Amino acid sequence: MKNNELKVTKVLAFYLGGQILGLVLGVIIQTLISGAFSTTYFLDLSSWLFGVLLSLLGFFYSLVGYYGLVKGLVWQVVGTLAGALFVSLIRFFMGLEPFNLTTFGFSEPAWVVGALVGTISFMAGVGAITDWYKWALGEKTADHHHDIEGFKKYFGVSLDHKVIGIQYTVTSILLLCIGGLFALVFRTELSNSSLEFLSLQLYNSLMSLHGMVMIVSILLGIAGVINYLVPMLIGAQDMAFPRLNAFSFWVAIPAAVILLSSLALGGFDTGWTGYPPLSVRAPLGMSMFFVGIWVAGWSSILGALNLIVTVLRLRAKGMIAFRMPIFVWAATATSIISLTATQMIGLAFQLVLFQRLMGMPFFDPTKGGNPVLFQHLFWFYSHPVVYVFILPGLGVISELLPVFARKPLFGYKWIAMSSLGIALVGFLVWAHHMFSSGMNEYLRVPFMYSTLLVAVPTGVKFFSWIATLWQGKLTRDLPTPFLFVLGGIVVFLLGGLTGPPNATVSTDLHLTDTYFIVGHFHDTMFGGYIFPFFAALYYWFPKATGKRLNETLGKIHFWLMTPSFLILTLFMMRVGLLGMRRRIADYDPALNFDVWHLAMTVSAYLIAISILVFIFNIIKTVRGKADATGNVWNSRSPEWLVPSPLPAHNYDQEMIVVGEPYDYGLEGSKYVEFIQKEVL
Amino acid sequence: MSDNHNNLSSQLNQGLVIFIVLAFLTFIEYMVAITNQSLLLLSIAATIKAGLVLYYYMHVYKLAKLDEDADQSSLTWKITTNRLGFWLFILSDAFLFAGLLVTRFNLLGLTRPDLNQVLGLIVTGVLLVSSFFMNRAETYIKAGNKNGFIFSTVVTLVLGVGFLLGVVGVEWQEAPFSAGDSAASAVFFMMTGMHAFHVLTGVIFLGIILNNGRRDLYSSENYWAVEAATIYWHFIDVVWIFFYPALYLIGILG
Amino acid sequence: MQNKKHFIIITVLILLVSVLTYYALLSIGLMPVSASIQSKPIDWLFDLEFKLIAFFFSLIMVPLVYSLVVFRRKDGDETDGPHIEGHTNLELIWTAVPLIIVIALGVIGADNLKQVLAVDPQAHQVKVVGFQWGWRFEYPEGFTTNTLYLPVDQQVLLNLESTDVLHSFWVPEFRIKQDLVPGQITEYRITPSLIGNYKVRCAEICGTSHSYMEAPVIVLSQADYAVWRDDQIKLAKEQELASAGKPDAGRGQVLYQESGCKACHSVDGSKGVGPTWDGLFESNVPLADGTTVAADEAFVRESILMPSAKVVKGYSPNAMPNFSYLKDGQVNDIIEYIKTLK
Ligand code: HEA
Ligand code: HEA
Ligand code: HEC
Ligand code: CUA
Ligand SMILES: [Cu+2]
Repeated sequence: MKNNELKVTKVLAFYLGGQILGLVLGVIIQTLISGAFSTTYFLDLSSWLFGVLLSLLGFFYSLVGYYGLVKGLVWQVVGTLAGALFVSLIRFFMGLEPFNLTTFGFSEPAWVVGALVGTISFMAGVGAITDWYKWALGEKTADHHHDIEGFKKYFGVSLDHKVIGIQYTVTSILLLCIGGLFALVFRTELSNSSLEFLSLQLYNSLMSLHGMVMIVSILLGIAGVINYLVPMLIGAQDMAFPRLNAFSFWVAIPAAVILLSSLALGGFDTGWTGYPPLSVRAPLGMSMFFVGIWVAGWSSILGALNLIVTVLRLRAKGMIAFRMPIFVWAATATSIISLTATQMIGLAFQLVLFQRLMGMPFFDPTKGGNPVLFQHLFWFYSHPVVYVFILPGLGVISELLPVFARKPLFGYKWIAMSSLGIALVGFLVWAHHMFSSGMNEYLRVPFMYSTLLVAVPTGVKFFSWIATLWQGKLTRDLPTPFLFVLGGIVVFLLGGLTGPPNATVSTDLHLTDTYFIVGHFHDTMFGGYIFPFFAALYYWFPKATGKRLNETLGKIHFWLMTPSFLILTLFMMRVGLLGMRRRIADYDPALNFDVWHLAMTVSAYLIAISILVFIFNIIKTVRGKADATGNVWNSRSPEWLVPSPLPAHNYDQEMIVVGEPYDYGLEGSKYVEFIQKEVL
Repeated sequence: MSDNHNNLSSQLNQGLVIFIVLAFLTFIEYMVAITNQSLLLLSIAATIKAGLVLYYYMHVYKLAKLDEDADQSSLTWKITTNRLGFWLFILSDAFLFAGLLVTRFNLLGLTRPDLNQVLGLIVTGVLLVSSFFMNRAETYIKAGNKNGFIFSTVVTLVLGVGFLLGVVGVEWQEAPFSAGDSAASAVFFMMTGMHAFHVLTGVIFLGIILNNGRRDLYSSENYWAVEAATIYWHFIDVVWIFFYPALYLIGILG
Repeated sequence: MQNKKHFIIITVLILLVSVLTYYALLSIGLMPVSASIQSKPIDWLFDLEFKLIAFFFSLIMVPLVYSLVVFRRKDGDETDGPHIEGHTNLELIWTAVPLIIVIALGVIGADNLKQVLAVDPQAHQVKVVGFQWGWRFEYPEGFTTNTLYLPVDQQVLLNLESTDVLHSFWVPEFRIKQDLVPGQITEYRITPSLIGNYKVRCAEICGTSHSYMEAPVIVLSQADYAVWRDDQIKLAKEQELASAGKPDAGRGQVLYQESGCKACHSVDGSKGVGPTWDGLFESNVPLADGTTVAADEAFVRESILMPSAKVVKGYSPNAMPNFSYLKDGQVNDIIEYIKTLK
């Protein structure tokens, strides 16, 4: 007990110490830059962010020492400074001004190169590229790595897909909280008309970062769920390329740091879409945003590559395509999109970066550039990516429904194919975001048709789910994961059904860039991702830890979040139809939207509270004792047939598929059998 | 032994034939471009060239050999898996270059920047010859011929550096415009720059396999790193097969 | 038998809930008033889509809730559900029917768009210039305003131009939205159908003050419009004569407020997107290239007509749009006004 208290004191001390040190450092830097001291620097956002950075470092340091994540972050800071100084030196020799006080000391190219060098340093520091480096030198490395015991392994490089899956998931939840916090801040500003406590510029930065941080959070979240589940579901020991897997995860950390640093480096005001020419004029933060996403893109691409190879090569014996768990189909469809389309957003951002840094006028019409080109490149990725968000979520719904309804998944093949269908048609619809953009007019009608087409495979999923539920034998007391599945279906239905009005061109001309769209995509993303994500967390938590999350707290979480969320988005749509534009810090009081906005803000806070309940639940459960090591949900899936948590190499016995995955209600049927591994 | 030898020389010969066809097609492209403006002919020629490289130099057909039942800890199984992963990476990267081509046609349409045609033809030739030697390097290591491998790799590497110097050192300096002048110049620098960046990484890759090859780390069974470097190098060539006409040949001077 | 009963019940429920949902939606009053001919087909399509939404929402929700309530395990029941793996015909039906609906919706949508875009060759034209962060309306008769006046029941073609970044022209009551793209002239056709006061609101994020990029739109009867237009023509002539004669700080101040300078330049010393004008005249202005320049008339004139020629230190070079459309006299008026602030 005594020991525990000491530990808590230590952690707190390091946390606060870091915060104070960072704050002081920030003030000193600002004093140096401006040449004069002012007490207002203590209130300045960038000083505080320095504080947050150091406090997190201190926090982790007190937990694990100079190891893994902590080492990586320190190396990142050093690498960033080294890269930036190097560029400044070159500038000096080229006769350019080496430093620039209006862009936080370094010139913009120096910051950008610094960020990239910092990323590489991070990877070297954390140790995610050590083996490759050795290979290049022709050295041999151990085939298997053994993870250190205890929670410390989560802070350093591990090659175990389950550890990486959890690392991804926790990072994702952290980013969700950060992005959510931004939303809470700007929602507070929106609670009534007139500008109260945010400046216009800060509102724009927070709003834009909210969008992108949430999207990165989703990308990491699905990567987490996919990483944790897919090898387990297909009976593999690990992913096909474990080192690449670790790389994909770790590179997302410096990416997130760079992305968030944009807030301290002047912010930016373009929304998450970063359209030029505005993004060419925006402050330094814009470049950090671009670089951050560019790096995060690599995480996505490499993760997807790894997954496709895993699914193609590592399935258990007898697991033909149409006997794969349905989630694996969804994960594969998702990965096809991430693998290919991500390059386009990388390119789009790269082009703007080069226009900012070198004046290459890709999007400057006075020099033959074309601002609309950016939008095509951007949406070629960013539309398909919305299906990246939802396909794994819909996969989770399809995976869990039969377990709780105690019935086979209705129309398995149709659901599997509809995932691929959505992914492929999703590639052909991007210009529906550009109906009013001034692109060639004849493109509008074909893109309307292709967009509407997505409703068909999505509909197949919905109808098949309903047919699965029909006559299903649900328990009297609906368990939390199932509640989240239901919530997901309902909310995603609302989001999906508000898609067609956006797709028919003439109605979209009214809807585009209004809160109706904001409502549409919060519904689709919550319904298609957040709800299923929570369902997955509640459902597989016992698998990962041997402990089951508290049901009562889980239900409080659900019943607090769902109605608040419905109010939030339905009101968004309402004010949107009536004329509320998106991305505005302040709205005309004459529109009489104040009441509606106040209700939305209150709902946002209720959602946040529900998430705090969830986090509390996790902490409480993790500290409790392991009493759910068996088949908690009475599932047929292989991972539940063995005790939880799984050993490092998943299954001690070899798995063979002998039947259909979802034959609930069929006496004596089996999906898999385990046989003793041949001892060599 | 002699069977192996026969096999080697027939494979080397195949590489040579393909090289001659590629060179011939490149020449045709050039002639087409300076005599009449046929977008269609140029696209067909480029597609044929890319197809030849994909099949004969990059051995894309090997992807079909998935031997599902093989022992998952065997070397062949691992290499097959690696190959699949590497091709997926190539596919992903191809989207980047496709995006650059889209950018080029969106911004410039059927006009092209004013570039030094002779130099363009020379660097294209250099890259093509380097591909020829890359193919030989792979063929040699497959036959267990270390010296042949080393010689061919060195030649490839030198040609690769030569290409870089030609584009970055000469073409960039000579261009009658700078990056900031117009969208056309920006596109030119971005396309050649991204391609050159890949050549640079390819050269580093070649350096690594050369070094490790010298130290006998590859054998005729286990030369995956060489195969990967080969695929990568030829991929860079395929990209240039499309970039060369797109930058130098297609359209009228803008 | 049992099954048939269930199906009949949910069919009835689905229809009932659809109708109720639809009327609930209607009764809330979802759309702002319609003030243009073009909004009629758009609202009609919205209505159709609300019906579709109501129907499909019920189609999914009713059986969902019904299953939850009716088929739930009774106490003590431990059995699994019936082993039904799928039903190919059903799957075909619920693929084909939405497909047909979707294609029909596409055909309707395309036709609807055609109605919305219908061209009246007689339409009169106004040039609309959007800039960070304001609107300017240039009438072919030679005068420029900051409020858009339109005659009712007559089609107008707005030629949209942007001087800096993307903006979007939107009057919610007209329904349609169109982006302004630098380097391109985009078109916006509208036929106002209801006399009244509206607002154009910029709907594409365009930087700091995007929220406030609004301007009044006033739809007048055709007779009132003609009177207003003749007034403006006369006024413009008078003003031109006056400014050509003697520059006047009062007119300069009005221009300061109406041409958009106010969005970036304060006159009380506070810092905005651009430098304040307080004490500007005849001060020494430090430039980005390290030199300083005396703020005389020539410098101010150049800063207005070619803002990027000399960039003030600490400000970004492309922030200020080009104001070369201002007439000489107007520039003189502004300079006169700036002089009074020194
Ligand atoms: C997870 C994310 C997600 C998902 C799944 C979707 C799904 C869909 N989206 Fe959405 N969308 C976004 C996220 C998503 N969207 C985001 C983030 C934006 C804004 C980006 C920005 O500007 O910042 C956006 C914006 C957006 C626009 C651009 C609006 C604008 O800015 O002008 C359009 C236009 O067509 C659109 C359409 C659709 C359609 C038709 C679907 C369809 O896939 C929906 C299909 C589902 C159904 C239709 C319901 C179920 C089907 C049935 C029950 C069958 C029967 C139904 C019929 C026959 C109709 N979306
Ligand atoms: C998955 C994606 C996702 C999610 C989950 C959310 C969640 C929320 N969003 Fe977000 N939103 C986007 C994606 C998302 N959003 C995108 C892409 C945009 C477009 C941006 C753009 O236009 O460019 C957008 C834009 C957007 C707007 C429009 C802004 C504008 O146009 O001006 C609004 C306005 O209300 C809003 C509100 C909210 C709210 C209230 C939540 C709430 O659900 C948030 C709930 C709160 C939390 C989840 C945090 C809870 C946690 C804590 C409080 C704990 C904190 C403590 C610790 C750190 C431990 N969002
Ligand atoms: C979008 C913002 C913006 C608008 C609108 C704007 N300006 Fe500016 N202005 C700037 C910025 C930024 C600078 C400093 C950089 C520069 O010199 O280009 C500036 C500089 C100037 C200067 C140079 C001297 C100084 O220190 O102020 C003058 C004079 C000026 N503007 C006049 C005008 C007039 C007149 C108008 C309106 C008719 C106007 N501006 C509208 C942003 C703006
Ligand atoms: Cu102009 Cu927003
Ligand atoms: Cu989309």
